[in-house]
Amino acid sequence: MQDSLDIALVRVDNRLVHGQILEAWVPFLKASCIVVADDQVASDFFRETVIRMAVPSEVEVVISGVAEFAENNAFRRGCGPKTIVLFSTVSAAWTAYRLGFRFDKLNIGNIYNEECRLCCTPSVQMNDGDIRDITGLRNAGVQIELRRVPREKPIDLFEIVRSMGP
Amino acid sequence: MIGVLITTHGNLGNELIKAAELIRGSMKGIIHIAVDQTKGVEDIKKEMSTALKKLDQGKGVLILTDLFGGTPSNLALSFLKTGKVEVITGVNLPMLLKLPDIREGMTLEDFAHFIKDYGIKNISLASEILSKKVG
Repeated sequence: MQDSLDIALVRVDNRLVHGQILEAWVPFLKASCIVVADDQVASDFFRETVIRMAVPSEVEVVISGVAEFAENNAFRRGCGPKTIVLFSTVSAAWTAYRLGFRFDKLNIGNIYNEECRLCCTPSVQMNDGDIRDITGLRNAGVQIELRRVPREKPIDLFEIVRSMGP
Repeated sequence: MIGVLITTHGNLGNELIKAAELIRGSMKGIIHIAVDQTKGVEDIKKEMSTALKKLDQGKGVLILTDLFGGTPSNLALSFLKTGKVEVITGVNLPMLLKLPDIREGMTLEDFAHFIKDYGIKNISLASEILSKKVG
């Protein structure tokens, strides 16, 4: 891996690498690196292979456990490859944040829970744990935007959480 | 008969089936699963697993998906199994039209290769064909 990564997007998406990432976000950001920070994928050779095959060869793919990623990388603006970081859950993003992976903005793509307490949109269905972690991130100063693809107008997710009351 | 499962972003697959039926008449042993924002990944997987069981009459199932790296394809790949399930990405109408002709009497592997090659062969640039014929 590179000495440092230039983080262009930090995103929560339970589908990780899929059409919206490869066809919309990568060209929009001109990203040259995708990090999949996910404990399950990092320990599943088949899923890892599928992701590596799906990503165009000019884009570097880094697959790592959440803690391993947060603890072993340097992040500097304008230094290193333009990088998209993907977490599958809000909880993973919050864990990485607390372990030292700092970001100002968190993009929310797809969140899915069977027991959904707050269904903001069809693609974002949060449970109590998600709401707690979103609040934690917000209190740490992170701006949280709900935006599936670049052309969509971002929505402040925390405003929705707050308007729902405790 | 080899089973065929189409899984795509939104209703693309269903519309492809409808278009193919318009040209060739009704098709048997084919199921479409739409992948959209409202369904959870685990639910779609369950839906696929049920469809595969229904479609497999002993000769296996071919899964056709639209985009390599997209969610439908990512999920379909988790069912890949030699002799039982094959996955083709980049589904198009010519592929669908060819299905009924060759579903009997071929192994799943040969069938999958044939359909893939047939789909590729049927993408053409008209001006290129014209210049070949004239020149």
